[in-house]
Amino acid sequence: MLISKRKRQLLTVITYVVLAGFAVYCMLPFLWMLVTSIKPTDQIRTLHPTFLVRKMTFAHFDNVLNNSAFLTFFKNSLLVASITTVISLLISIFAGYSLSRYLRFKGVRLFGVAMMLSQMIPGVLLLIPLYLTMKQLSLINTYGSLILAYTTFAVPLCTFMMKGFFDTIPSEMEESAELDGCSTVGIIFKILLPVSLPSLISTSLFAFLNAWNEYMFGFVFINDEAHRTLTPGVSLFKGLYQTDWGSMMAASVLSVLPIVVIFVFLQRYLVEGMTAGAVKG
Amino acid sequence: MLTLKEKRIRRLAIGFILPALLFFLLLNAYPLGQVLWDSFQIKNLLNKAVDGFAGLQNYKEVLRSEYFPTALRNTVVWTVISVAGEYLLGIASAVALNQRVKGRTLFRAMIIVPWVVPIVIAGMTWTWMLTPDYGILNIWMVELGIIDKPYYWLGELNTALLTVTFVNIWRSFPFYTISLLAGLQSVSRDIIEAAAIDGAGVRRRFWHIVLPQLRTVSLTIIFIHIIWTAINFDFIWVMTEGGPLHASETLPIMIYRYAMQEYNFGQASSLASMMLSFMAICIALYYFASSRRQRG
Repeated sequence: MLISKRKRQLLTVITYVVLAGFAVYCMLPFLWMLVTSIKPTDQIRTLHPTFLVRKMTFAHFDNVLNNSAFLTFFKNSLLVASITTVISLLISIFAGYSLSRYLRFKGVRLFGVAMMLSQMIPGVLLLIPLYLTMKQLSLINTYGSLILAYTTFAVPLCTFMMKGFFDTIPSEMEESAELDGCSTVGIIFKILLPVSLPSLISTSLFAFLNAWNEYMFGFVFINDEAHRTLTPGVSLFKGLYQTDWGSMMAASVLSVLPIVVIFVFLQRYLVEGMTAGAVKG
Repeated sequence: MLTLKEKRIRRLAIGFILPALLFFLLLNAYPLGQVLWDSFQIKNLLNKAVDGFAGLQNYKEVLRSEYFPTALRNTVVWTVISVAGEYLLGIASAVALNQRVKGRTLFRAMIIVPWVVPIVIAGMTWTWMLTPDYGILNIWMVELGIIDKPYYWLGELNTALLTVTFVNIWRSFPFYTISLLAGLQSVSRDIIEAAAIDGAGVRRRFWHIVLPQLRTVSLTIIFIHIIWTAINFDFIWVMTEGGPLHASETLPIMIYRYAMQEYNFGQASSLASMMLSFMAICIALYYFASSRRQRG
């Protein structure tokens, strides 16, 4: 009704063209990554490459999985990211609750400002003192250094996300439970968390993705293969394999695999979290 | 005077924020102070014999470094082009996703994907597509007649930074898409319909009704991304390491080089302090502007 039918149709066509363009732009590198990883080397090194795979091969995957430390890196990343997620979540549940319910205290308000500011402090500027601190604590080349650093940078965002979710829950529910003699910690775990399960998923997703994708600290804090995580590990393949792009793309495919799984099943929560973060700033 | 119960609650509140506060103090505030302190110290791990107060020496040397002007200019170019490109793509894709067409969820999913994968992987895949030998983008461009022969996009002085910027836009714009889409969806249909009845065409409705309503969310994401982009280390490091010949070196790369390659922590800290002060000013201005907007 807002526009004539012909204009409407034209607009629909334009919309599809624009969306298709964006889809190609966004997906092309991933398609090419996948295609490269399953092609034999002579089809990779050709002047007429195509998306058609004539003879599929898993040689590159075999090479990455059996002739490199890839699986160690993968396991390390999984471990570090999971522990970071659990710790960040635990810390930010309580901090977020405090920010949501006890903002009348000056200390809590001040803490809110500190969290806001720390969200703005970039990791690269703190790299040197953090490196020296980790060295003093002899945490260099341990998972501990990464878990500490990732948790520090995940907590502010997670805290604000949890605060946002707690804000939407009316406090009447808690008051009646309090009258029944339930402690505050009990209220959080028995009443609030079960109803904010989607938010918990959203928040943990962000903590996990941040830790899984982080590169700089992993690159600087870890120098031995046994503790190296996936992102620096894969980037070092570049020197190792020189121009064996098949193997490098196979490693890439394997590295994005967990993210694809998360994405397919939990996309809704991811979008919710991104929206919440953007609207509140 | 607080009541006894209120005092108990306050203790609880403080207890709840304590773990987060500890992380903040030990791994944010303390290192921050350390950076500021070190920036006035002579601190070189390769030359431990000399140390002590340096005054403004570190700052002077960083500012006098032959690469500083280049790095500063590169940071500005990298940040401005990235944020502008991201915003344009973000708003175009958000408006398209806001239309009532079939398959919106699928399109939205495909558009977010670049944002969730590790920068390292994205950077490596683009590097492979851009290689002069057998890189598919080079081969396509030659076949289409855009260029005569394969070009080393990441290895030439005049294209290295812009190429990484292009890839950065590809990776970061989905965040704008989702934020702006949320903003678009909250624009009231009633107002748009009223404007339509008053005879406002599609374009006028977009410029005069929809866009103004996106102002707050736009300013917020642009502000955040100016900071996030200016301090980004990963992308440039993974794709070019600041090369060739410092052609794509930005200030964060320079900090890294001072610290981890020359082990000159004093100079690295003074550069970091300068960036921090600059950011602090930006944040203060932003805060000032937004609080004035809210009041006025």
